[in-house]
Amino acid sequence: MRRNQRTAAASILLVTALGLTACATGGSDTADDGTRAITFGVTDPGTLTPGRQLVAYDFNMAVWSPLSFLESDGTLNYVQAESIESDDNITWTITLKDGWTFHDGTPVTAQSYVDSWNTVAYGPNAFENSGQVANIVGYTDLNPAEGEPSITEMSGLTVVDDLTFTVELIGPDSQFPLQVSQAQTAMYPMPESAFDDLDAYNTHPIGNGPFELEGDYVENETLVVTAYDDFAGDAPTTDQISFVPYTDDTTAYTDVQAGNLDVASVPASRLPQAGDDFGDNFYSFEAPGISYLGLPLWDERYQDVRVRQAISMAIDRETINDVIYGGAYTPATAFTPAIEPGTPEDICGEFCEYDPDAAKDLLDEAGGFEGSMEISFPGGGGLDDFYNAIANNLRQNLGVDATAVPSADWAEFSDNRTAGNIDGPFFSRWGALYPSQQATLRPFFVENGGCANCIPWYDADVKAAIDAADAADTGDGSAYADVQELILEEFPAPPLFFETYSYVTSDRISDLVTSPVGNPRLTNVVLAGE
Amino acid sequence: MIRFVGRRVVELAIVFVGVTFIIYVMVFTLPGDPIAALGGDRPLPEAVQAQLRAQYHLDEPVWLQYLRYVGGLFTGDLGTGFDGRPVGDRMAARWPVTITLALTAWAIEVVVGVVLGLISGLRSGGLVDRTVLVGTVLATSIPVFVLGVTAQLVFGLQLGWFPIAGTSEGWPTAYLLPAIVIALFGLASVTRLMRGSVVDTLRSDFVRTLTAKGMPRRNIVGVHVMRNSVAPVLTFLAIDLGYLLGGTVVIEAIFNLPGIGALLFDAIKTHEGPTVVGVATALILIFLATSVVVDLINSVLDPRIRHE
Repeated sequence: MRRNQRTAAASILLVTALGLTACATGGSDTADDGTRAITFGVTDPGTLTPGRQLVAYDFNMAVWSPLSFLESDGTLNYVQAESIESDDNITWTITLKDGWTFHDGTPVTAQSYVDSWNTVAYGPNAFENSGQVANIVGYTDLNPAEGEPSITEMSGLTVVDDLTFTVELIGPDSQFPLQVSQAQTAMYPMPESAFDDLDAYNTHPIGNGPFELEGDYVENETLVVTAYDDFAGDAPTTDQISFVPYTDDTTAYTDVQAGNLDVASVPASRLPQAGDDFGDNFYSFEAPGISYLGLPLWDERYQDVRVRQAISMAIDRETINDVIYGGAYTPATAFTPAIEPGTPEDICGEFCEYDPDAAKDLLDEAGGFEGSMEISFPGGGGLDDFYNAIANNLRQNLGVDATAVPSADWAEFSDNRTAGNIDGPFFSRWGALYPSQQATLRPFFVENGGCANCIPWYDADVKAAIDAADAADTGDGSAYADVQELILEEFPAPPLFFETYSYVTSDRISDLVTSPVGNPRLTNVVLAGE
Repeated sequence: MIRFVGRRVVELAIVFVGVTFIIYVMVFTLPGDPIAALGGDRPLPEAVQAQLRAQYHLDEPVWLQYLRYVGGLFTGDLGTGFDGRPVGDRMAARWPVTITLALTAWAIEVVVGVVLGLISGLRSGGLVDRTVLVGTVLATSIPVFVLGVTAQLVFGLQLGWFPIAGTSEGWPTAYLLPAIVIALFGLASVTRLMRGSVVDTLRSDFVRTLTAKGMPRRNIVGVHVMRNSVAPVLTFLAIDLGYLLGGTVVIEAIFNLPGIGALLFDAIKTHEGPTVVGVATALILIFLATSVVVDLINSVLDPRIRHE
């Protein structure tokens, strides 16, 4: 017994010691001292550098200021840019505002932008978001098919003076000013110190935005940003934002319910109850995301356009939206999200409306559907209910033997999809980073446009029409109407939902505002009592 | 004894090489290209993917990758994840969380389990015994996920006694609730084991002899019964500690504790070979080490077990 008592005592001591160490590294994030501070639940970002980050959009939008900012009313404001102009939509001249500095005190110059974009584009750096600069002349020279590039700078970028530089694009593109807006993080500038040691910069990124990072990024620890005193733009409404990493987004949701966290995004599994749980503190922001039901156009059974239309008409979008997403989404009525200017709403017409009888007739007219239909989607992402509901619709309304089968994980799905090893309908979605029809049409309908094998249906006429619209559009998006007409004729895949990005807040926040990219605008959070 | 330990160490080395190779090959052969999946539904540009594949040697045959990995191990390099972070650093950052959680849960198991087991063993058939029986059956039959989420909602959200998530409040507040949830499972086994063991020992001949000799019951139970019945429990406890140190993926996820289990889960999801192998190997070493320790403890506690 005595020996056991000693063992127990020793282990308790050990536990206490470890606990104390944990205390030392922890610390509370709540500020009750009058600081206007908020906490935001995030996924541990891994990478923070704007050209590399994959899940750190909100952090990036707080620490950097974009060249342009698209407001909710559709106007494009310039932030870091004084002007972005072009006569031919090919060569763009960007003039910067004077007096702006990075958080290390160095001025933001034309050279900062040119160096940053070259760094993003330089192949051997393997920056994850380099696709955002791919339309600049010289990008392909920095990313040769074989071997190392012989140069390090894109020929399409030229510094004119301290505050002016020009960008030459590979083709006319009227949407360029939107491509340097808030969510296109690869277009953010980096200070000179970044280029010496990109790894160190990723640990302690220095931006030109309203907030600066306190300390260094440590995996799975809270990232604290505080208002940058010398910020030349509009001052943010809060002094401090803490980005708290969560391994499970439902835990973050619960933590907001308990009042320990101020803002969190709503996981799909909580969408149906979020309105009841949070009332006015539940926000659903219209976003430039759209989902389709991809169809295996390489399969003969899907060749007849009437089969594809019948599948679309057999899906009860309203009910699926109400039951599975708590009504947070909007049933799709066009081929691009409604928030993208000029989207011809209702162009899809009857083909996007639920009409089981007409769908069945149309399918019979086309000769019916032989064999079974297996809907593939990535497993482990909470999409099961959604695709089971679609399979049920198709089974009941079209009499097709439809089932929904998840893959083991995203990697397996993405492999099968890219290799065409799928013989049924499949998951297909795209969230654009700037609200222009271009940002949805290119990924879906242009080869190598971004969403590899999303639909995949690449038609020369559609490509030409998108190119023409890119060149011709005057800002209202009306030029893209022709493209949507062409897509409607062929109806390669049924559009399903215009997406919203949903958030919940604690009572400390009285209003969470957004911008057309669907994320909360963390610089303009309205605190309760202000 | 030295020969025994030596033999176990050699076995350990063989298991180590075999296991790391098998796990490496398994991760390599998982369906799906990890680099293509890095960007989720926003695929990375082809050029970037090719560059990353070359950077992480994913374009080489698996045996060459493995040799590289083992070569790195000898210089203390555990490899890097797909975001360029060294696996060694990532593991080092996460062990404290898992160790704190495991030891807290383990301490609860030891203290509560042994005491409850002893009481129900001494008074078998009594009220405590029956309550413990029902309680342990209940605890083992509820899935840990349900128990974790329920505890979080009741004690964290409604009563507000414990934080819901994260380690920011430090030990013990942040670790107590998840530790109790995990401990409930081991606790059931410890209690049942201890109870059975005590009941058996009480019926043994030497206890009857001691009672006949007139030794006070206090001494019989405190010294002789305790020492004889704790051996099987200790074996279980040591193995359980190894299991707890493996990280409990579900609990770490629910309570947002960035431990080793969560790291392993993430790494498997993203097919990060070096991370999976690094964590899995560390876990196997812990299991092997605890099994050696168990054998040693047993031979010390019970002289009848000798390792010649």
